[in-house]
Amino acid sequence: MLVQFLVCMTATISFALLFAAPKSELLFCGLTGAIGWIVYLACMNLGTGTAIANLTATFALAVISRTIAAIRKNPVTLYLISGIFPLVPGAGIYYMSYYFIMNEMSECSQYGMETIKVAGAIVLGIVFGSSLPQAWFNALGKAGKKRT
Amino acid sequence: MAVTKEVLSLAVETGDALLRNGAEVYRVEDTVMHILEAYEIENYDVYVLSNGIFASANEDRDDACSMVRHIPLGKMHLGRIAALNQLSREICSHECTLPEAFRRLEECKSIPTNRQWLEVFFCGMGSACFGYLFGGAFADAAVSFLAGALLKLFLNRLSKRRTSKFITNIFGSALVTLVSLFLYTIGLPILYDKAIIGAIMPLVPGIALTTSIRDFFNGDYLSGAIHMIDAVLTAFCIAVGVGSVITVYRFSIGGAL
Repeated sequence: MLVQFLVCMTATISFALLFAAPKSELLFCGLTGAIGWIVYLACMNLGTGTAIANLTATFALAVISRTIAAIRKNPVTLYLISGIFPLVPGAGIYYMSYYFIMNEMSECSQYGMETIKVAGAIVLGIVFGSSLPQAWFNALGKAGKKRT
Repeated sequence: MAVTKEVLSLAVETGDALLRNGAEVYRVEDTVMHILEAYEIENYDVYVLSNGIFASANEDRDDACSMVRHIPLGKMHLGRIAALNQLSREICSHECTLPEAFRRLEECKSIPTNRQWLEVFFCGMGSACFGYLFGGAFADAAVSFLAGALLKLFLNRLSKRRTSKFITNIFGSALVTLVSLFLYTIGLPILYDKAIIGAIMPLVPGIALTTSIRDFFNGDYLSGAIHMIDAVLTAFCIAVGVGSVITVYRFSIGGAL
């Protein structure tokens, strides 16, 4: 689990660098991505299936991104975009096209539906995360400011 | 009181820079409005799409002014978005005079991207990590690293020539598949599918999907639809690129994949 956490953090930081995130925020970008991935893994271990796992993970990701954004006074986009990459269904796209080419239609449609379900779960996760009132996060931001 | 035209041009210019670097529509609209209000313009209208800004101010007065901008979907630059956000925060708390704000805006716009070899290295690094996360072993991750780094070199080369996005994505994913399959064929003990999945991650439309959802959430359906189409087409192009190389490979080797 720890290895997964560190590897995912490296992956997220690498991608954040590709999108030219400010150097001071790289660590936080990595943290959001890694936490999202760990939540995903934890849900998968509990046997919830990919859709629910993705939903929970993106929800956690959105909430954490907004919290850090409020504390660090930066746009949410910064953390959300770097953090979403581990959850985006890249593997789904690959297997779908692979089985399509191999003419195994049942596998292909299974992976296709899976990909669409995951994309839908990500949508709902971000929507739920975004709909929490901004006032909560502002309060968190103020509390963080007092501490520093 | 400042001249309408200059204020509007500052506001629209800031919005332009934000949108060009990949901010979501809601943020751009909000920023433009706040800057206009900070310089005491009460009578204004702003309409932002994912690739255009329309704004007018003080329509009922002599110095009425309106501006239209066309902004192509561009490359993400999070550093500039953060800097512009900071700038607009300062403008709103009246810490910036107008000339000062223009100067700061230019500074924000010229924040450099990372050096090219650094980007190539980190693209490989990211790919390798994802190859590992999606169930590959160390060897698969190493192949992902190579393929990802090559992919970024290829993308950098193409971006100088303004190639269409379709071509970029199809050939990019084809290149990745080719590299992985080649290394597999010459006998490296790898799971080529894990290596490919890791290395196509830089192409996968995570940003377009996220931006689209957030646009929808804020009620900007048109911009959301534009980004959603972008995401779906990109995914489709990746599938075509990967698929076509695998097909050719199967034919040339006789179906033994």
